[in-house]
Amino acid sequence: MDLDQYRIEAEPFYHATGGEVAQFAAAYAARLPVMLKGPTGCGKTRFIEHMAWRLGRPLVTVACHEDMTASDLVGRYLLEPSGTVWSDGPLSQAVRHGGLCYLDEIVEARQDTTVVIHALTDDRRVLPLEKKGELVHAHPDFQLVISYNPGYQSVLKDLKESTKQRFCALDFGYPDPTVETEIVAAEARIDAATAHRLVQIAQRSRNLRGQGLSEGASTRMLIHAGALMREGISLSEACDIAVILPITDDPDMRDALTHAVAACA
Amino acid sequence: MSPDPRGFLRLAGTATAPQEGASGAFEGEWLAPWLRVRRKIEGAGYGTAIEAGFRRAGSACARIVGPEPAIDMGDYLSAITIKAGRRAGAAFCTAAPLVAARLDGPRFRSWMSLMQRFAAMAPDCVLPVLERTEALLERVTLSGFEAWLLGGVRLAGADRERRLAFFRLETPDAAKLLEREAGETGFFDVERRMRAYLGALYGLRVPVREAPPDRHDGARRRAGFAGGLLRMPPSFPGFSGDQALALYRAALAHIGAHMTYGAAPFPLGQLKPMQIAVVSLIEDARVEALAMRALPGLARLWLPFHIAQASGAMTAPSLFARLSRALIDRDFEDIDGWVRKGRDMFHAVGDRLEDPAISRAIGNILGNDLGQMRVQFNAKTYAPQPPYRDDNAGLWAPAEDTPPEEDDAVAVEGVRLRQAPDETPERQRPDGPQAAAGRARASVARDVGLPVARYSEYDYQAARDRPDWTTVVEHPPALGDVRFAARVLERHADLAQKIASLVRAVRVGRPQRLRRQAEGETLDLDAAIDAHAALRAGQMPDPMVFQSMARRNRDLAVLVLLDVSQSTTDPVDGGGRVIDLERDAVVMLAEAMVGMGDPFAIAAFNSNGREEVRYTRIKRFCDPPGPQIGSALAGVAPGYSTRLGAALRHAGAELRVQPSFRRLILLVSDGEPADVDCPDPRYLVEDARRAVQALSLAGIDVFCVGLGLSNAEQQARIFGSRGFIQIADITALARKLPALYLRLTR
Repeated sequence: MDLDQYRIEAEPFYHATGGEVAQFAAAYAARLPVMLKGPTGCGKTRFIEHMAWRLGRPLVTVACHEDMTASDLVGRYLLEPSGTVWSDGPLSQAVRHGGLCYLDEIVEARQDTTVVIHALTDDRRVLPLEKKGELVHAHPDFQLVISYNPGYQSVLKDLKESTKQRFCALDFGYPDPTVETEIVAAEARIDAATAHRLVQIAQRSRNLRGQGLSEGASTRMLIHAGALMREGISLSEACDIAVILPITDDPDMRDALTHAVAACA
Repeated sequence: MSPDPRGFLRLAGTATAPQEGASGAFEGEWLAPWLRVRRKIEGAGYGTAIEAGFRRAGSACARIVGPEPAIDMGDYLSAITIKAGRRAGAAFCTAAPLVAARLDGPRFRSWMSLMQRFAAMAPDCVLPVLERTEALLERVTLSGFEAWLLGGVRLAGADRERRLAFFRLETPDAAKLLEREAGETGFFDVERRMRAYLGALYGLRVPVREAPPDRHDGARRRAGFAGGLLRMPPSFPGFSGDQALALYRAALAHIGAHMTYGAAPFPLGQLKPMQIAVVSLIEDARVEALAMRALPGLARLWLPFHIAQASGAMTAPSLFARLSRALIDRDFEDIDGWVRKGRDMFHAVGDRLEDPAISRAIGNILGNDLGQMRVQFNAKTYAPQPPYRDDNAGLWAPAEDTPPEEDDAVAVEGVRLRQAPDETPERQRPDGPQAAAGRARASVARDVGLPVARYSEYDYQAARDRPDWTTVVEHPPALGDVRFAARVLERHADLAQKIASLVRAVRVGRPQRLRRQAEGETLDLDAAIDAHAALRAGQMPDPMVFQSMARRNRDLAVLVLLDVSQSTTDPVDGGGRVIDLERDAVVMLAEAMVGMGDPFAIAAFNSNGREEVRYTRIKRFCDPPGPQIGSALAGVAPGYSTRLGAALRHAGAELRVQPSFRRLILLVSDGEPADVDCPDPRYLVEDARRAVQALSLAGIDVFCVGLGLSNAEQQARIFGSRGFIQIADITALARKLPALYLRLTR
């Protein structure tokens, strides 16, 4: 079994906002594990897809969730007519065959899960499969990437110090208004003026971060709004259903945002 | 020199003569009853002013609402004159035709009957209310007017001076209540969303304060800013509903534009008031133009308020309003040369708009022009137009002698907080209903407490919540005997053991998935595979391969709320006082709760009028169990009355933040809600009922343990028929309370 199904054929659109492409390429050349930090919807996943394409490596993505256990990552024995059969988990596959393994929102997973990556992320580069009694040496092309959103970490959900310190980190924020306008225009296929207006609206909502909103509108939301407008929905309606309603349930915040949107156009 | 009374009478007589009786107001069958009621009034000896007034008012009202209510007016007039005095009677006659012009017949009658009832409730206040009746009814409907009257009576309690001040509209309460009844949205009702709006537009985080009531008129009518503070009037008269909201938004967007695009305050220098006003006006337009460049939609917010017309008097306010409009509204054409000149100069600056100096330059030129045109300007009455514009104070460096804004506002807040305890002593006058209340207050020395929260209260008569009606004052627990709990447990040693065994038996909580069980509903796949793998490998498999759902964890937070009013000092037949038995029972209950591992809190409350609902946290949720709970319980001093609703709301606020699945307030009370300022026994019952309902909506259950044979019907009304239990034999409380708790929380 190899990782062909995980290869990315076409170039994913990514607009660099700084030196992150060169930085990531350097980290990959040194096979250093990388942590992508930043608020939701700012382009972390798109970036790693783009880099996997650029580096020509398959990309195994795992969305971490609360109930995820270590065996969901490394693999487990399954029952088959002939008896029990070991089945590699996504992480083990990437380790064996040399791919990028991207653990999205790693803090969501149970803490014991994060410990299995420890041996992979220092100079040992091995993955012990306890149940199978096997020690998998990482393929030379393997690299581990995790994403980590510092926005909604709580005391209960934070990375252990020992985990954090194994990674290089790239910080992602929302791009500059001009860059963000280009991104929204390109992704949603709308004109630059409309995209600019959407970016302005997003800035209004980001002003409220920590003042009633835990997070402002993301670039992804703007692209959604833009896509709706391309289908003929008006700006205020598009902002309503793609930005304001998803982002908050607080009537006061909704009211403030609705009128701020009105002020932008 | 006083006018000859007879001459006055004759004059009054001649003036009213054509309106009297037979002149068309009372015809046919109505004439006789009208003359009868007139004779009755004249025979009662209320004086000539009332007699003449009634004649006038009667025929005037008859023309508007028909003869029948006008004739009935006689009885109401008598009742009011007897209760509230002749001047009130005369004022009633003056007010009646004005009211009749606003209301139809039936509602006119309701108004008369309302005034009669009001005269019985607050005779001294009838005169000021009647004098203001027309202005009041201009703002509120009749039912709103009634609610306002009742609200005022209730608000002042037994404090007559305060009541009179209220009905003279001299207290802020009166205006606020009127505002609410008028359905005018006060700024501070929507403050949070408005602050969010300002924050969203400009990323500003500015504290917003209410303009202090003692400020000069301008500051109350217009918003303002200075020293990093934003000042808003509590409302803009004449704007209500969506209009008011739009005006608040426009004002905030305008001030935000000043804060974002404005520069340092201009020096006042030798400028005349008129020049200051013009420079401010240009600066207003400049920052608005800059703001609209970034946020074009603001034009739609601001433009509707610019309603100045191109024609009109050549007065400063009119010219200023027209210039304001001309600068923002490109479609507005003014014929006036001065306005056109201002507009052309402003639009000629082009890309120098960012430079605040242009406001000074243009303003100076236009100001001088006005001076030469001899246009009069009154700085005292001037308020910038349209109303969303601020008062301009923030644009100018303050003169030396004005105190900084912030101190001002902070001082106001301080006063507002201190108000409650400061005013109480004045009300302790030994007259009227206060004397009865004196009994309930005698035993406790005054001590310090901290006002921590205000809650609304439900007025069943007006059928509405009165916001910010009660003040909860928290007192730190007074510490008593540290060994109190230990001694109680010694005394009830057998009971303590029984509770411990009961505790072991009880389990509640929310369903949870249990993996690797010996039996259960479904196979636990991971365990089954492991077992199978072990079998194949020739090892002993683990037999725990099932999973099930079960309630394993208790997830319950309890707040025990103790009524420690004066009545708990009553002795009990079996020996001791109610409060002593309450304390013992709570110690045993705490024992059970510690045993169950439930988070719990204990609080005690009593009250001394609506401004002082006393609340003591004996144990907070975060406090560990220990002897200090017993000590704090022993230190509880009973006294005062039982304002149940406010205490429940405060307890609910404490419980609400607990993350538990079930939340329960366990109330231990010996009587019914009552307070010194509530003569109506039903009032606090209905309020408590409302509080219980609100808590239940918020997912908080309230259960009442009634001590003694209290009024079961009333408790069922408050807590619902299954929301209370009565313990007739109070001496058994220590035994029953923990058992009840365990049963209740199963």
